[in-house]
Order: sequence, then C-alpha cells, then structure tokens
Amino acid sequence: MDVSQQVIDRYQNIRRKRRIRVTIALVLFVVVMSLFFQALVRVGFSVGELIRYGPQFLDALDQYFPQTTVYGIPFLDVWQYWDFIDERNLFSQAGITLAMGFAGTILGFPLALLFGVLGSGRVTPFPFNFIFRGVMSTIRAIPALVWALIYVPLGGVSPFTATMAIATDTIGNLGRLYTDELEEVEDGPIEAIETTGANRLQVISFGMLSQVHTPFIAWTLYIFEINVRIAVTLGIIGGGGLGQVLSTQQRLFQFTNMMATILVILTLIISVEIFSQRVRSYIRADEEPMGILELLKGFPQRMAESLGK
Amino acid sequence: MTYISVENLSKRFGDTQALEDVSFEIPEGEFVVVLGASGSGKSTLLRCMNGLTKPTAGTITIGETEISEPHPDIAMIFQQHNIIGQMSAYANALTGSLQRTSFLRSVFQLNDTDEKYRALDALETVGLLDEARQRARQMSGGQQQRVGIARALVQEPNTLLADEPVASLDPGSSQQVMGYLLAAAQERNLTTVVSLHQVNLARQFGQRFIGLKDGQKVFDGYAEDFSLEVVDKIYDTVDVDRLTADEDDFADASDATDASSTADSTDEVMG
Repeated sequence: MDVSQQVIDRYQNIRRKRRIRVTIALVLFVVVMSLFFQALVRVGFSVGELIRYGPQFLDALDQYFPQTTVYGIPFLDVWQYWDFIDERNLFSQAGITLAMGFAGTILGFPLALLFGVLGSGRVTPFPFNFIFRGVMSTIRAIPALVWALIYVPLGGVSPFTATMAIATDTIGNLGRLYTDELEEVEDGPIEAIETTGANRLQVISFGMLSQVHTPFIAWTLYIFEINVRIAVTLGIIGGGGLGQVLSTQQRLFQFTNMMATILVILTLIISVEIFSQRVRSYIRADEEPMGILELLKGFPQRMAESLGK
Repeated sequence: MTYISVENLSKRFGDTQALEDVSFEIPEGEFVVVLGASGSGKSTLLRCMNGLTKPTAGTITIGETEISEPHPDIAMIFQQHNIIGQMSAYANALTGSLQRTSFLRSVFQLNDTDEKYRALDALETVGLLDEARQRARQMSGGQQQRVGIARALVQEPNTLLADEPVASLDPGSSQQVMGYLLAAAQERNLTTVVSLHQVNLARQFGQRFIGLKDGQKVFDGYAEDFSLEVVDKIYDTVDVDRLTADEDDFADASDATDASSTADSTDEVMG
C-alpha cells in the first residue's frame, strides 16, 4: 500500500499507544483478580460449605414458601403468612416502623436545614462553612446503626433511641443534600433581592432558599424514604417494629413467619416509595393539582406504572 | 435641579477598560436612554450606579447619597429579570418591600396590608393584576419582566435603573414592556435610566440619550439632537441603515435584536 510517511508514522504511533493500553488493562485485571482471591480467603468463602449446607437451605426454602395443594395442584400457602400477620398484628408493627422513620426525619430536619444552609460557601464565608460541612461529614461517617448503639445509655435500644439515631443520621445526610443543592442557585435573583435593600437573612431566604424550596422538599421526601428503611434495620438490633419481629422469628427458626414479616416490610417500603415518588414528581413537574376523582380513577394505572419502574 | 450626578467614572476589569472617565448629570424626573453596542460599558455603568459594581475611580451621587452599595431608593430592573421563578407574581412583587419589613414577617408573608396593596397596585400598573397568583416561572418572558418592574415599583424608589430590560424579548413584548416602564416612571415621577441597544426603541421612548462607545461617552443630548450621524458615531461598526430602516418592520427589528443579543453575552461576561 502506497501511503505517505505521515500516515505510517501515525499508524505506528497508534499501534504503540494501543499496545501500552492493552498491557495496562492486563496488569489491572491480574491485580483485581488477585485482590478478589485474597478477599475470598479472608471471608472464608468455600464451595465445600455451599455444597454441605445446600440441602439445609433448600429445606428452609420449603418453610419460606410453604406449599399446599388445591385439587392436587401445588400452590403457595399464603394463608400461613396471613395467619401470622393477623395474629401478631404486623400492620400495627409496620406503623411503629413508619413512625420511627417519620419522626426521625422531622426531628432531624431543623438542624439539617441549619447546617445545610450554613455549610454553603455562599452563606458562610469560605473557611468557616467547612465547620458545618465537617460536622455533617462526621455524622455521615457513622452509620445509623452505630448511632443507635451510641444512644444506648439513653435507655437501651428502643424505638425511642432508634428514632434519635435516625434523626442524627438525617442531619448529616439531608444537610449535605441541602448544601449541594444551594451550590446550584443562580446569582441573578440573589443580586436582585440585594438591590431591594433586604437584610442578609432576607437575601438568604428570598434570594437563595426560594430558588431551591422544591428540590429541598423533594430531598426531604427522599431521606424519609431511606429513613423508613433504616427503621427496619434498627428494629433488627432491638429498636422495635417490623425489624424486631423479623429478628425474633429468625432466632426461633420460624422461617414461614420470617417470610410473612418480610412481605409486610416490602409492602411498607414500596408504599412509602410510591408515595414519595408521586409527591416528588408532582412538585417537580409543577402540574395543576389533581382532582380527588381523577386521583382515585387513575390510581390502579399509576400503581402499575410505579411498580413497573 | 440635578438629581443624579456621575463624575469621572472609570472601571477596569483586568485588562479591559469598561468605562473611561464618564461624567453626566440628570435632573429629577428625566427618562434617559443609554445607548451603545455590546461591550460599550452600558451594563457596567448601570451596575456602578446601583452599587452592585465598585468603580475603579469617580463618584456617583443620587439624591443626597453617594453610591457605594445597593440602596433602597434605587430600584434595578435586570435583563434576565431575576425574579424568583418558584414564587407567584404577587410574592415576587412583595419582595420589593423587604427593606421595610422585618425578617419573620416577610418570611410568613405577614407584610402590612399597605405593602400588599402596594404590590397589587404595582402589578396593576404593569397590567398583571389578574395574573397575580400565577407562578412566575410559568409566565412569558415579557410578563416576567413586567413582574420585575412591579417589584422595582414596590420598592418605592426615587430612581429606576433598567439594564437592557428588553434584550431577551421579542419585538412585540419589547414594545409592551418599554411602554409599561415609561408609564410607570411618568405616573410616579421616577428618574429613570434605561440601557438599550435597539435604536428604534430608544427613539420611540427616550427623552434624553447618552451614547457610550468603548467605555467612553460619545453623545449626550435630547431627542432633537439625536440624529442619524449620532447613531452612526455610537455604532460605527453596525449597519445603521438596517437598524433604523423601518421602525414598524418587525422582521427587521427582530433581526437586529437577534444579532445584538448574541453579541450581548460578551457584554454580560464583561460585567
């Protein structure tokens, strides 16, 4: 092939670069794989155990999903689930879990707002805003589960201390989302409010916060969603609600009851998610409010859509 | 009686001389149009007059006050209107009364009834009384700018400064917004300085004209002296025939608007 020297040079250049890239990729692959192997050794992962305990797990599966026969055809025996749900009044337990998430969100909100706003470089001048950011990062670095343990002296692990843990966690997480959102505000409206002769607090609330109040509501709902999930986890260590029922049944090896509890947890979490997502998309889209009739008529379809997401 | 007095005003941004030794005086109640091509220093001049930008040299006195920071007696209307999109037109107009309202009252919209009437009255002045409850974000560009004017009026200023208030609007809305601006200024006897780049609008609404070119004042005079040669001097690189050809010809005017609004982004960057 008759080509110019430049083309040949360019070709050589591309080949060299490509060879280097392939070598780097190979080295990386070997490194990741050896780290993976190390990790498996550390956690004592063994295929032998899987095989040995396999039948036991299959046995448990039978209890997780109890079967019955209807005219000789095997069916999932949902009545066993229902019996437990009804007997232990799991929906009322779900209420406790929901209350923990909800109260925790509201309790954490004022400090989240305060720290979130003060953490913004546009409100607090540069090095000082990092005091507030630092506090929020520290709170975030400690998981809610650990906060619940820290609050044990307040009266052991109970729904009350679990709610305190959720509130603390909310300050760190929600506050950070607020700070991030405030970085996005436009300068124009802030300047405009300044020219009206407003004081500093008014400039912050009208110039800045008014620009982000919809995203702030949306983020708060998102954190509420997460907090309900955390409430389930905190229940497992004794914080009450569905989580506690779940851990008790696990310790009693009542796998059918466990699965019944998990089903109620799923129902709770999905309902909260659907609610929060609906409200969020509604306030973001800025639609006209839906009439109550429309709301009822469209519900099955919206439900199906949300589930399909 | 001299009301606004600008003396030897200069402003540098790094290597760019945005304003160079600009001086003029404006008597009370005059409606002044500042004209100039993009980057001529119009925005900088108005921002200095409002105290949003600190001049490198020179002084600005409005009334009795020497301007060094935003002052409640001076209201500003911005090219991007800078109203709060999430709030209603009414709530936006009401922000004009912030300096007379305590923080808690303003946050809970517990302003004096007089202030609320003032806000609605200002919305009526700009023809938006019926749209008062509408969210600003859902309004058209022209309506949003009129909300901006209403906010400025609620401030109860003596002086109205408008930085390219119609640069982002179509010719029809531009006419309308300029009309409301002039009417409000006359009704409330406000000393007004408006920067514009459309010569036809300037001729139609201006009483007095100040021409800027490369940061220097190249013209200062009243309507009778504002001739084609003057326009030529202010915009020597622009095809003046086309800008002034037919004032009623919207297609032409919108071409001119497009051309200048593209160039205007440079103006923004330079402040």
